[in-house]
Amino acid sequence: MRKFSHQSRVQPRLNVTQEYFSLWGLISLISALLLLGLPNHASALPTFARQTGQSCVACHAGGQFPELTPYGRIFKLTGYTIGSLGNPFSAMVVSDLTQNKNNTDLVSNTGISSQNNIPLIDVGSVFIAGKLTDNIGGFAQFTYSVYDHQDGSGNWRGHLGSDNTDLRYVNRFLTPTNDLILGVTVHNNPGVQDVWNSAPAWSFPFLTAPGAASAFAGVPVSTKLEDGTLSSQVAGLGAYAFWNKSIYLELTGYQTATGFWKFLSQGYKPGDPNSPLTYSQGISPYMRVAYTKEWNEQNFMIGLMAMNTNIYPFDGSNLPQYGVVTHYQDKGIDAQYQYLLDPHTVTAQLRYITEKINDDTGTNANSNRLNSFFAKITYVFRNEYGADVAYRSVNGSSDIGAYQNYATTQASSYSTSLSNSPNSKLWTPEVFWLPMQNLRLGLQYNMFTQYLGATSNYDGNNRNASDNNFAYLYAWLAF
Amino acid sequence: MSLTKLYTPKRLSFLLLSLLLTACISPNSDKGRNLNDPRTKGIDIAIQDCSNCHGLNGQSISAQFPKLAGQQPDYLKAQLTDFKGHIRRDVYGTQFMWGFTNLTQLQVDELSVYFSSQPPMNGSVSSSANLKEGESIFNNGLPAQGVLACSSCHGPLALGVGEIPRLAGQHSSYLYKQIMVFKYTDDRPRGQAMKQIIHNINNEQALSVAGYLSSL
Repeated sequence: MRKFSHQSRVQPRLNVTQEYFSLWGLISLISALLLLGLPNHASALPTFARQTGQSCVACHAGGQFPELTPYGRIFKLTGYTIGSLGNPFSAMVVSDLTQNKNNTDLVSNTGISSQNNIPLIDVGSVFIAGKLTDNIGGFAQFTYSVYDHQDGSGNWRGHLGSDNTDLRYVNRFLTPTNDLILGVTVHNNPGVQDVWNSAPAWSFPFLTAPGAASAFAGVPVSTKLEDGTLSSQVAGLGAYAFWNKSIYLELTGYQTATGFWKFLSQGYKPGDPNSPLTYSQGISPYMRVAYTKEWNEQNFMIGLMAMNTNIYPFDGSNLPQYGVVTHYQDKGIDAQYQYLLDPHTVTAQLRYITEKINDDTGTNANSNRLNSFFAKITYVFRNEYGADVAYRSVNGSSDIGAYQNYATTQASSYSTSLSNSPNSKLWTPEVFWLPMQNLRLGLQYNMFTQYLGATSNYDGNNRNASDNNFAYLYAWLAF
Repeated sequence: MSLTKLYTPKRLSFLLLSLLLTACISPNSDKGRNLNDPRTKGIDIAIQDCSNCHGLNGQSISAQFPKLAGQQPDYLKAQLTDFKGHIRRDVYGTQFMWGFTNLTQLQVDELSVYFSSQPPMNGSVSSSANLKEGESIFNNGLPAQGVLACSSCHGPLALGVGEIPRLAGQHSSYLYKQIMVFKYTDDRPRGQAMKQIIHNINNEQALSVAGYLSSL
């Protein structure tokens, strides 16, 4: 999980030579990749590949993790229990380099992101995963973000915390005419239990720039199902059924991951200045319905999702301010298409989520609407060379409280909207290479055609949407 | 009724209890997902594991995976043995099948019996204009190129015999890829004879014969 950080401090302006990919940077990054790639192939497989004895491509479309094939979806829905009991530990490391098109705050004339154009060993995760019994399995990810926040002296500090976690109990009943999977899931992020990559938690981009390297990673405003607010903050207990590989039904309830459920929100504490625990009121219900069909080498899914959640605001000490909440009602429709026959793999996803926001806290307008659209298509050749194009659009009610029109009075304005609007549009083309099945190298470009309500001068201080564009080069190794 | 009211702890507890109880009446064992237990019955592995790709009745939907329905049992035993021992090394086999290293001989036999006893694989209607060429290659070979007739080993109806596989009704894409594996690699040592037999077949001819066989 990567959380967008608004806490990046303004840094001294970088000199001109640092604003381009430097030869030194690339050499350093490639050296790091080679170093990371040293474990030999056979011993370097993640847990599920070891457990099943199968290649990543069996479960991941075109070999590109984390997108799932039909078999990968069954593997997850049957509780990660296919295969043999074995070593449950695996890990991943992400190394990256981000170059912002315009890393200068036009008001203060200083640099925005201090790690711009610097190769980083950015994120590391440890996974405890696999089958426990023939009916119980799961995975728990713990992630260390090297550039999480800055201390009082401006030095970057890391953060270790819970990441995607999904534990399951499953039964599967198969007869010549019926195939019924019934399961229970305990997880810590709405959607992390989903098996289609059109749902937000596992959808593209799978990686993007850390907040330390770009203040513009992704659209600036999004719905609660998409923005990660509840990720590693909640305990979700859900029940699901998947019938005849066609109909999927799920009901899950989420509550704040405290007390017994604290193991799902490790690293997040009430009142923590950098990683506070977000508190939601009572149980947040979540519903998921999907229909899927396979024919020949193709498969298709269309689904609905809905969640209601009420979130307490933080007080001045990052503690929950009980008594008033902001109500979020999300309703979404999504679809996915896959063509899977070596040497060609095509996957495409669509998603539309509309969110009704009622804010009782007095900070924002009482009734707002936010609409979010996402589309992506991927092609992979021989499970090795691939390209994606994604489009993201968010639009909604203008709100001076929510989108903060203080552009003319603040030293920094790049995250504020002159028109008080969330409306943003982002194109993300990417090319990637899978030289080994557990290593993904990618180059992504993020191109804003609208940012917080405008294409040009969106902040009232002459910053254009395209100034927020950034290139992102990454290496993602799992072992 | 709101979702919150629908999703009461009492109802959730009932759901969980029901789920646990259903495990006791399962018509086949979830143990089939355990690939490292010699006590697991082959039929449970077939139903809970193999069926995910090959279909419950061996009629796989996707040409990524061969149909197994009505396949010759000795051929299935031989291939499972080769996958288990990592002797069959073609890329598709290694990606999906090399995990079955711990199958017992009894499990191999039971899996082979299960799939071979299913109603034979269905052919698909083909609109290929090259069906006649494919039929001719199957029945007569390509004498000028030194390619023997497929029917001489696989039988006049392509039903196979013993370790020689049934081809009738198989996915054309799968058949074509296997012809290429035999022609260009040594990844299927047990089928080494095929390398000599189809060495001079060209890609278009391979497509034609694969298309014809899939239509049977």
